[in-house]
Amino acid sequence: MLSRTALLSANALKSKGPLGAGLVQASHSLHTSAQSLAPVPPLPEKGGKVRHGIIPEEFFQLLYPKTGVTGPYMLGTGLLVYLLSKELYIVNHETMSAASIGAVIIYGIKKFGPSVAAFADKLNEEKVAKAQEVKDLALTSLTQAIEEEKKQQWRAEGRSMLFDAKRNNVAMLLETNFRERIHMVTNEVKKRLDYQIALQNLHRQMEQEHMINWVEKSVIGSITPQQEKESIAKCISDLKALAKAKATV
Amino acid sequence: MAGRRAALRAVDWVAFAERVPPNQRTIFNNLKTRSDALAAKLASLPEKPVAIDWSYYRSAVAKAGMVEDFEKKFSALKVPEPVDTQSTLIGSQEAEANTLAATYIEGSKARIAQYQKQLEKFQNMIPFDQMTIEDLNDTFPETKLDKQKHPYWPNKPIADL
Repeated sequence: MLSRTALLSANALKSKGPLGAGLVQASHSLHTSAQSLAPVPPLPEKGGKVRHGIIPEEFFQLLYPKTGVTGPYMLGTGLLVYLLSKELYIVNHETMSAASIGAVIIYGIKKFGPSVAAFADKLNEEKVAKAQEVKDLALTSLTQAIEEEKKQQWRAEGRSMLFDAKRNNVAMLLETNFRERIHMVTNEVKKRLDYQIALQNLHRQMEQEHMINWVEKSVIGSITPQQEKESIAKCISDLKALAKAKATV
Repeated sequence: MAGRRAALRAVDWVAFAERVPPNQRTIFNNLKTRSDALAAKLASLPEKPVAIDWSYYRSAVAKAGMVEDFEKKFSALKVPEPVDTQSTLIGSQEAEANTLAATYIEGSKARIAQYQKQLEKFQNMIPFDQMTIEDLNDTFPETKLDKQKHPYWPNKPIADL
């Protein structure tokens, strides 16, 4: 009796709803309507909880209201004992080999499971990190490119200043040229007038010098030799008189 | 002696220098040095020429009538203003620059719109750890494996692995 209820309850469980992620995906693909859940909801981080590695937690929760905590264990033990005693399951050499293989597998998984899982996770992490890097780079470069374009536009707005500067340069050149011209005119006129004055001064100077020379020459020429002798004699007698006067004083 | 030319527009060299892109900096510096040289030259020349002291010359120069003659001719003289040949050229250059700038700004705006679109695509993307391979192929079409061209795994040339 108990065995029949166990089988029935097992059947009921199978047709019921979620029993781990695998069943969820199976029901997902059996949807016949066109509406699908998009975007796909994120997959759960971990699989459904299990006890002792293979028996899902939901089984224990199912039996808890009726049989409490020990219910499923009693069910399991009873089932096993029934199978063995009624010889529905026969113990032979294959049982031994199954037991040894099972022991080795369980030992292997317990020892190396976490490290293998971590390694696989790391591989995935690397892929995701690479993709993330690409995305971040794209974001920064795009924002920067937009900034640059805006800056270039702002730069192009300043073009009127260039033409102002050019026009200023042209105006300055013209003004400078004009001023130079009038200065040149004034200076030339001044130079001409100054030249005239200098010419006049030169004339006068030359006339003066010539006249002086001529007067001197004529005076010297007019002194006859006789007069010269007379003047020398007069000078000597004057000197004698002066010497006498000096001697007496 | 004749009238003034058009007044000079004040150019704010500091603001101008800010707007110059780095690849045009040398020509901007050349322009600035040239403008400064012209301004210095202009400032060094006085506006009015030195006045000629006619009374002194009249008393000093002996030749009769020369000074009066010069004075008359001098005051009657009108120095011609230099002809402006470049302003129209500058005007046409400015118009050309304006059209060029307008087209450039148009192109720039189009580029900004494009960048903005891509930016939005990246910002509205679902995070990588919630993506399936189909989502990845939708978001980045270059990751799609061409099953027609390379029907066997790994569906891309070995060199690309």
